[in-house]
Amino acid sequence: MQEVSAISGNSVPADEPKLNYINNGHTLKSWLLTKDHKRIALMYLVSVSAFFLMGGIYAGFIRLELLTPASDLLETATYNKVFTQHGILMVFFFLIPAIPAILGNFLLPLMIGAKDLALPRINLLSLYIYWIGGIITLWALMQGGVDTGWTFYTPYSTTFSNSYVMAVGIGVFINGFSSILTGLNFIVSIHTMRAPGMTWFRLPLFVWAHYATSLVMILGTPVVAITILLVAIERFARIGIFDPAIGGDPILFQHLFWFYSHPAVYIMILPGMGVISEVIAGFSRKRIFGYEFVAFSSIAIAVFGFLVWGHHMFVSGQSIFAGLVFSFLSMVVAVPSAIKTFNWTATMYKGSISYDTPMLYAIGFLGLFLIGGLTGLFLGSVGLTVHLTDTYFVVAHFHYVMVGGQVIAYLAGIHYWWPKMTGRMYSEFWGKISAMLIFVGFNLTFFPQFILGYMGMPRRYASYPEELQVLNIFSTAGASVLGFGLVMPVVYLIHSLFYGKKAADNPWMHPGLEWRTSSPPPTENFKEMPVVTWEAYDFGEESGLDLEDARKREAVTI
Amino acid sequence: MTAHGDTHEHHEPGLQHQFEDMHQQEESVSIGMWAFLAQEIMFFGGLFTAYLVFRWRFPMAFAAGSNHLDEFMGGLNTLVLIVSSLTMALTVYYAQKGNRTLQVVMIVLTMLFGATFLGVKAIEYTDKYNHGLVPVTGWNKKVKEDVSAPHVTEQDCTQVGHGDGDDHYVNPKGEFQWKDCSLVKLAQDHNYLTEDEKIGYFTNGEIDANKFRDKVRLFYYIYFVMTGLHALHMIIGLGVMLWLLWKAWIGTFGPKYYAPVEISGLYWHFVDIVWIFLFPLLYLLGRHFLH
Repeated sequence: MQEVSAISGNSVPADEPKLNYINNGHTLKSWLLTKDHKRIALMYLVSVSAFFLMGGIYAGFIRLELLTPASDLLETATYNKVFTQHGILMVFFFLIPAIPAILGNFLLPLMIGAKDLALPRINLLSLYIYWIGGIITLWALMQGGVDTGWTFYTPYSTTFSNSYVMAVGIGVFINGFSSILTGLNFIVSIHTMRAPGMTWFRLPLFVWAHYATSLVMILGTPVVAITILLVAIERFARIGIFDPAIGGDPILFQHLFWFYSHPAVYIMILPGMGVISEVIAGFSRKRIFGYEFVAFSSIAIAVFGFLVWGHHMFVSGQSIFAGLVFSFLSMVVAVPSAIKTFNWTATMYKGSISYDTPMLYAIGFLGLFLIGGLTGLFLGSVGLTVHLTDTYFVVAHFHYVMVGGQVIAYLAGIHYWWPKMTGRMYSEFWGKISAMLIFVGFNLTFFPQFILGYMGMPRRYASYPEELQVLNIFSTAGASVLGFGLVMPVVYLIHSLFYGKKAADNPWMHPGLEWRTSSPPPTENFKEMPVVTWEAYDFGEESGLDLEDARKREAVTI
Repeated sequence: MTAHGDTHEHHEPGLQHQFEDMHQQEESVSIGMWAFLAQEIMFFGGLFTAYLVFRWRFPMAFAAGSNHLDEFMGGLNTLVLIVSSLTMALTVYYAQKGNRTLQVVMIVLTMLFGATFLGVKAIEYTDKYNHGLVPVTGWNKKVKEDVSAPHVTEQDCTQVGHGDGDDHYVNPKGEFQWKDCSLVKLAQDHNYLTEDEKIGYFTNGEIDANKFRDKVRLFYYIYFVMTGLHALHMIIGLGVMLWLLWKAWIGTFGPKYYAPVEISGLYWHFVDIVWIFLFPLLYLLGRHFLH
């Protein structure tokens, strides 16, 4: 904590901002050609948020259409495009890059005590690839969109669909390399860029989670890249290996697709788990319970995640024996997630918990992820899944994991590190209100869908029987609350940029390396190379992080 | 493994701002390239999986298609690439030794071999174009109808096949052509056909030339995608070598700084190794059915 005291005793007047990564260069060029991971992260934040907004608007249209049993707001063909584009934008352009490309990019070098990621130019390249992939996809959507579902199932996508499958496919293909390069950069950085004393088992769990994520990114993404490329070639050349009419195999597509796309859900959730580990340990002011178990469960999820793709294909005609094996392995992959959940709960036990906004989100995550995970076990059982496949039960399940898990964790992370990223504090009051609104709105939206699915309402239809309307009205009402709750952070976070209280270097009094530099950090991250002499999550007495002491110190300096 | 504590006032040539010293930088770019190659293996892995699945199902069609590839050309290219790997390895060696002249010579030789490979590949592709073996309709040589040519029916499976002077077929639209079903008959006589083949080549118990052609076409589809992507990697490799050539020419590399040469070499060797797998899978496996 020498840094903190040194800074509070600094003679620089408070109204003259210190040189940091934001005010170090104001030209457009200084942003577009930057090699600074923090600036790249901010540009990712803006781009990813734009895609999230677009995906959210599509979701709004879906829920409005489903307000009434008949398909009246949208034509059925339009509805197909709307849910497809919701899926594509959300999965490929929001869920996958959100935490790694924004929070990971910003925090990973800070957490390991490096000046930057190991390959800064590759990092900038990944952002440009993301933009190019995004622009191609948006262009295709404006031309008329795509209606295959985000999964691009063959032979519909290759032979029958009259929409812009090829253009969107190429957009997604290109975007995949952005994710590969990010993962590659993280792996290299974690191996070679750690500060002296920052051993593997002193790494914050956020870093471990990103290491596991990166493994999946570089080993999984290329497979879906080649698969989507094959779909595009097949559409273009009117011949290919997925066309059953000439002896090709549409199920092969599903195998190749899910070989990536199941591990991809771990690309989405693992970084979220990393965020939650940080937030829960931090706001319980306690070393995380079972550090090694949480760390290795991330790796276990990454490894086992590659062995369970067949549970997406129980009713696609794979053999019953394959189904049993995949079912068993799907149960196995639930174990490391359960380990994490137990350890987070155990961390909170007898911790001195403070309910700041990030912690509210994190506690919400625990409940929602629990429901999402346990309903996953329903779907992983070979027998039960025959009843539930392609119903709203599935939709509710993966939204509980993706939104209730990943998006909530993302918001927790954004709120937790916002003071570090921008140097400003947001309104704690509105933060708490929005966290609670999102929790309530989310449950109101998606819990009825479990019941709807169990009653047999199929997914991806614009109309449904009248007796299912009541629950659908609940769901749409919940979606409005959820949407409102999600807009609120945009407003008060942007407000905080201009009117927010200046953030201290360590506003939460947390021990991570990222809190031991100024807020916002200087371009080179640390004034001098930090030397790590403490264990991760060290809230011990000698750490100087006692909240009471800190408040007293603060009172004196003010 | 971790960064080193000493602050670096001295600035070594080629040291980037985020690193503390050259050792850290070399280690980083090397791990980065290995991770990238792991990614590449998975990228090609999807294609190899597709190849294996269809070869398992339709071995006769794949043998028939494979038989029309020129194993001499393929073998020549294998040789060319292996020698280029040697010159690439020597490039790294001379970069480490700081021998600028031999470094440049070896890079030029490597590029020469790479270009030779692509040239041979172009000859092979042209041959496929001339014989109507490109799986995309319209991308083959268009052969106008010739009244003097012997009449060839679609269902005729008695034709001996390509390469035996049967250039007098008609192909006005440039479609994929394949009429030789002799391998199916052979396999049928010896009871070699797989379950998929018993369905995939026959209509009402009779050999269906069109259905067999479609399976051969699948082989050529996979052949073109695999070798095409491999050739694309070769072209990128040549671009990298051009950059290396310029850097070596101005004397950038020496005993203290040769990491770019080393990781470009890793990439080059990787592209070679992919070919070492492609060659037997596409050109050699299954030839014995006819020979």
